[in-house]
Amino acid sequence: MNICMITWEYPPRVVGGIARHCEGLAKALAKMGHSIHVITLDFPGAPQYEEVEGVKIHRTSIELGHPNFIAWVFIFNHFMEKKIAMLSKDVKFDVIHIHDWLVALAGIVAKHHLKTPLVLTLHSTEIGRAFSLNNPDSYLIDGIEWWATYESKRVIVTSNSMKREVEEHFHLPQSKIDVIPNAIDISKYYVKVDREAVKRSYGIAPDDRIVLFIGRLVPQKGAEYLIKATSKIVNNHPNTRIVIVGDGWLKEHLWSLTLSIEHKHKISFLGFLSDSELIELILSSDVLVVPSIYEPFGIVALEGMAAGVPVVASNVGGLAEIIEHDRTGVLVYTGDPNSIAWGVNKILSDSNYAHWLVENAKRKVREIYNWDAVARRTVEVYEKSCGEV
Amino acid sequence: MHRGRPMPISDEVYFLCMLHNIGMTAPEKSLTIEEMSRWTAVEPSKAEENLNKLLKAKYVEERIISGIKKYFITADGIRKVLSMYS
Repeated sequence: MNICMITWEYPPRVVGGIARHCEGLAKALAKMGHSIHVITLDFPGAPQYEEVEGVKIHRTSIELGHPNFIAWVFIFNHFMEKKIAMLSKDVKFDVIHIHDWLVALAGIVAKHHLKTPLVLTLHSTEIGRAFSLNNPDSYLIDGIEWWATYESKRVIVTSNSMKREVEEHFHLPQSKIDVIPNAIDISKYYVKVDREAVKRSYGIAPDDRIVLFIGRLVPQKGAEYLIKATSKIVNNHPNTRIVIVGDGWLKEHLWSLTLSIEHKHKISFLGFLSDSELIELILSSDVLVVPSIYEPFGIVALEGMAAGVPVVASNVGGLAEIIEHDRTGVLVYTGDPNSIAWGVNKILSDSNYAHWLVENAKRKVREIYNWDAVARRTVEVYEKSCGEV
Repeated sequence: MHRGRPMPISDEVYFLCMLHNIGMTAPEKSLTIEEMSRWTAVEPSKAEENLNKLLKAKYVEERIISGIKKYFITADGIRKVLSMYS
């Protein structure tokens, strides 16, 4: 099949889980023999066009700008439309696959112009991300999300909780929605790491144990609950360091919060790390905490599971589906620092238990969350969509 | 406030978003303080105050072209902005 995948982020433009999802899926589709063109936005240092592992990546330059974010989104969608129109002179696309509302306009225009079926993967919703629709921007985004679900032949979501959310909020027929989970390339973690050297490189003592958070620093990811749990963790396990990786608009608030707690010197903010740095750090960690309060899937939990790091996660959304409590990880109450501390302490106190969780988790990731399986199921959705424009 | 979320975002991060959205995302797209001020409708003194904070945080970089100071957003700055909307 000739597939046109549209996404606002694709490596090295990595913001959240969408970039990693699109990269994993696109590479697996290419490996299956499909011709996949990714239309995305430019990023400093990345070429306008390149082919990586069979994936043809077209990066769109945005030649106009506007201070207003929504206007900017409309503008970049227009430039993506132009790119797709140019490409369509040479390639007859069989399906257009868009990821989230940000590229919905380009996808909808391409669908009608090229008379090609549109498939939407909805990674999250505005009402979930913003907790409510209480201003004009949120209403507008919510409206675009609804419009994209309406225009799409099929809607893919990554978890059953997200399916329920989409069904209820957009009044979408159940039969139009497919649940296909995220996946992970487990081979990335088959590397040897000098844990002591990695720790030293971040100013962490070799015998300190790392409790790791990875994610955008935004309210939905819940980093503040881990920060608030620090004292209860450190009181039980003094040689523990809480390490926070990622950036986001909430960083300054989280930093202020850190300065207000008793064990502030036990918390490190590392900012954004490259893929290789991140893998080394995960492999050097003792617990991965995913304290999200809204999480349609939670790909970071899979990263911990694949890397052999025990995971403590909120009992919410997709996380509650990925992790089986007390078997493949520890589920804790959402937004509850005491519960997070309990989960982390349970793992740090019992290495046999931690080892047991890790072995079960690795097995689960290998069997279910691999890109080949996800790509096969995605192609089935494409095939269902074809012929019904 | 950011889209009704419970925490306010700082002035400089809001300013960074506007700089991103007007396209100041590469060295060849760098702008002077006056140009930024005009595009974003932010007072030059306020623009400079925000810019100094963004430079310190390494979200913005300075370059000098023919003796004129111009600024553009770094990769970390772009990621900072995108984190608000992803």
